[in-house]
Amino acid sequence: MSESKKLVDKVLDIYPAKVMKNRKSHMVIKDASVKQEIAANTRAIPGIITNRGCAYAGCKGVVIGPIVDMVHIVHGPVGCSYYAWGTRRNKGKAREGGQNFLEYAFTTDMQESDIVFGGEKKLRAAIDEAVELFHPKAISISATCPVGLIGDDIHAIARDKSKEHGLKILAFSCEGYKGVSQSAGHHIANNKLMTDVIGTIDTPAKEFSINLLGEYNIGGDEWEIARVLTKIGYNIISTMTGNGAIDEIANAHKADLNVIQCHRSINYVAEMVETKYGLPWIKVNFIGVEGFSKALRDMAKYFDDPALTARTEAVIAEETTSIEEEMAGYKALLDGKTAVLFVGGSRAHHYQGLLREIGIETIVAGYEFGHRDDYEGRDVIPYIKVDADSRNIEEIHVEKDEKKYSLRIPASRAEQLKKEIPWASYDGLLSEMKDGTLVIDDLNHIETEQIIKILKPEFFGSGIKDKYMVQKMGVYAKQMHSYDYSGPYAGYQGAVNFSRDVAAGILTPAWKYITAPWYKEPLLSGKVEGVEQVC
Amino acid sequence: MIKVIEPNTDNVTIKAVKALMTEIHRDDAKDRNKDRNYVNMQVNPCKMCMPMGGALALKGVKNAMTIIHGSQGCSTYIRRHMAAHYNEPIDIASSSLSEEGTVYGGSKNLKIGFRNLVNMYQPEVVGVLTTCLAETIGDDIERIVREVRDTGEFEGIDIIPIPTPGYGGSQTEGYFDTIKALMAYFVKKPVHVGKVLEEALEPLEPFINIILSDATCEDVREIKRMVELFGVKAIFIPDISDALDAPFTNHYNKLSEEGISREELKKVIYAKATIELGDLVGPNHSPALFLEEEFGVKAYRLPLPIGINNTDCLVHALAEVLDTDIPKALEVERGRLMDGMIDAHKHSATGDIAVFGDMNLVMGIAGLVLENGMHLKLAATGSMSKRFKEQLESKLDQYHQKAEILQDTDYETIREVIQQEGVNLMMGPSDGKFIWEKDHVDFIRVGFPVHDHVGAQRKNLMGYKGSLIFLDEITNHLLDQKHKGYRDRMYQTYYPKKESHKPIQADEAVR
Repeated sequence: MSESKKLVDKVLDIYPAKVMKNRKSHMVIKDASVKQEIAANTRAIPGIITNRGCAYAGCKGVVIGPIVDMVHIVHGPVGCSYYAWGTRRNKGKAREGGQNFLEYAFTTDMQESDIVFGGEKKLRAAIDEAVELFHPKAISISATCPVGLIGDDIHAIARDKSKEHGLKILAFSCEGYKGVSQSAGHHIANNKLMTDVIGTIDTPAKEFSINLLGEYNIGGDEWEIARVLTKIGYNIISTMTGNGAIDEIANAHKADLNVIQCHRSINYVAEMVETKYGLPWIKVNFIGVEGFSKALRDMAKYFDDPALTARTEAVIAEETTSIEEEMAGYKALLDGKTAVLFVGGSRAHHYQGLLREIGIETIVAGYEFGHRDDYEGRDVIPYIKVDADSRNIEEIHVEKDEKKYSLRIPASRAEQLKKEIPWASYDGLLSEMKDGTLVIDDLNHIETEQIIKILKPEFFGSGIKDKYMVQKMGVYAKQMHSYDYSGPYAGYQGAVNFSRDVAAGILTPAWKYITAPWYKEPLLSGKVEGVEQVC
Repeated sequence: MIKVIEPNTDNVTIKAVKALMTEIHRDDAKDRNKDRNYVNMQVNPCKMCMPMGGALALKGVKNAMTIIHGSQGCSTYIRRHMAAHYNEPIDIASSSLSEEGTVYGGSKNLKIGFRNLVNMYQPEVVGVLTTCLAETIGDDIERIVREVRDTGEFEGIDIIPIPTPGYGGSQTEGYFDTIKALMAYFVKKPVHVGKVLEEALEPLEPFINIILSDATCEDVREIKRMVELFGVKAIFIPDISDALDAPFTNHYNKLSEEGISREELKKVIYAKATIELGDLVGPNHSPALFLEEEFGVKAYRLPLPIGINNTDCLVHALAEVLDTDIPKALEVERGRLMDGMIDAHKHSATGDIAVFGDMNLVMGIAGLVLENGMHLKLAATGSMSKRFKEQLESKLDQYHQKAEILQDTDYETIREVIQQEGVNLMMGPSDGKFIWEKDHVDFIRVGFPVHDHVGAQRKNLMGYKGSLIFLDEITNHLLDQKHKGYRDRMYQTYYPKKESHKPIQADEAVR
């Protein structure tokens, strides 16, 4: 019986029958010889200590929050705004002459009376106040749990106030209870970006124009990616949404290619933009040396420009040579170690290549809020059963914009390219896993405990909520959401940073002192000069 | 070689005159009659919500688990913040209320969640906290919990419903209300009355109830040690000392075996007295007053024992309750603090201080600041409390100082006052880091949450010993400010400058 099988049996054994059946469907032992299916994006079991967050976290916290020049007002009681204040470590810089509100948290701080009598008045006044002092380019309003229930019409307020003040005000009905995880919030945010932002500014784009989608500039990731892309000659029209600026996103449709990092959180926009403006997308992975190089080559293939291709190869050669030695050093230190990854809707996949480059094999991986397509690949999308929770999240349908639509690549060449690069396609996490390894969706504490006990990995990549339970068991746990105040981890320099941090974590001498010496060997006692000494 | 002039910027007289002038100037300059720049919008809030305080209190109860009835986000965010501060696993369940639950009521989810939680964790006590969502849809958790109990499935588990709507107050009220709910449950529960009486017949070792807010784990340990010097046991409600600062054992304890046990909670009515440290929440939130009114347990409501004055209050109260002399060891510790205060005085006087965060902690630290002759420029909290303002004003009068006092405020306003008042040292939770980054104001992180430094959970600032450690830290910050480039500063200030004189760069200045 494989280790993975043993683990699954042991974990499931803890649960009562009904829970067992549910959790079993969220676990798959990779077997490349068959088409495998995993349950995902279904309701978390109440009381099970899930690591998932809420729709508000996905909308304001993940997708909308990182846009630097917007005032993001959280309409609700104080906690929601406070808890999402700067905790994701999405970095951003003001554009020249522009503003940066990332260090701020704005909230209407609803009180009991606002819940009883409605919070619309307060929200209107808060918008006025925001405009008066900050003069932002745009404002977002994110709804928290009570807002939808008490019937505050944030969309009407956004419309009125937008007219009154002459600026973009985007309202998001991302009440925490919507959907089954933060994933619902991504979708809600994507919809609004599509209907109200993208396509509202038409500045002509230069050659090799791209958008970076699903890149949130955690710990400066986007800056390292942009450094290399700019060096090659790409023009980044917009990033959604790390270090993003609202006017740049409004102009995104003018680019020639969308490159998608986090598939889960932004694929809705990518698809809708393709339908409406003819702008195609490819799936990339900017994490890891090989991952990044492959992404650069795929992008060059798309543009099919000899000079660009040559520059791409030159930059890849230059960059990889400069880090080769250091990466080899980390590999020598870490070779043969094993990892468990439980993070996000894409990172559990993205980091496997980088870990492999430094000799660490991923033996268990899973997403917190991924869907089946993030595991099994996009081919499965037509077969995913839409349940009530997903149906409650609005699915918007866009049509071809006759004026602004243009095919970037002739249809015939597009067909050829689709065979060569991941054009509108994503194979999912399962494709990356080796046979016999384990994939678990929506991992919880009790399962994590068993994984650590049975598989004894050296590296556990997850979030801060499970970090300390893992470390209490003597295993290094790294925060893969916020990078433990480090980064960037993307791109070439990021690969070095990550490897350095992982080596420091796994190899810290502290782990050697876990067991007190008197438990390892008998106490040495003897008489020295008439005094009994114990050492 | 240029002669170095001895520094005298720390001259107390000059400082005092300067301070007086600032005060006069301030009185003239403005009359701030509101606590925030913006009435309807909080810009960088200086408070959290009630379930956060509730979750913290329940972490100090032995073999207890918490389930938060609401969206997953509430539980997740609270766990995230507590884990970042305490660097400990924070297991808190959620009823994972979904859209369906908001329409048909959350009873089903809560019941399923409760059952799963009990199966996996086998707790003795389960605190059920509500949220904005649960309260807005009007879920009656009292009823739901009663129905859960009535199934008879969970014999032996104490299930306690605790209303903590996020809009009902700050984490401080959530903390005290949860303690009160725990007490009300354990001392009132009819099925236990017989048992309690039986136990009461056995001679009980004398003990004192201590309710301590805004304390670090080390503070709890320190106050416990102080009380025990009186030869009496202290029951801390809750006791987070070891639960949230657990030693490494190579083992993950799903349930904390540390903290106050339910057996102890049942006995609180037999205490010699209840001493509630942190006295700013309204009387209706006070667990000590509840015990006094309902069961006649004498209540003392005192400020947090930070600084000599506030610690004296605690020691006095203990001596009064126990009708005993002050232990020699404490007198020695007080003497040592006194000695340290005198040593620090001239440096203390260079401090222009801002304190922000939880109201009780701000009040305690303000006491230490004032009694050491530092200049309190700003005391600010996000909680709403008239008592905070009143008590602080009377304290300021006592020391002939004036300071900006803000309640129900936000960090944007705090930052503005810090800039206006020329504050040179701030104390408060990590959220002050934005002011530290932008305006380079020296910053000591204290309170909750501290997520960008380590060790906040084992910092000690309470009791005589803790106050001295804390005072030393403050003094050293002020000293470092002076030492940093003071030669150059002296030179620039006192050396006669000629028109043609080329300004000297800091690093080529005198060594």
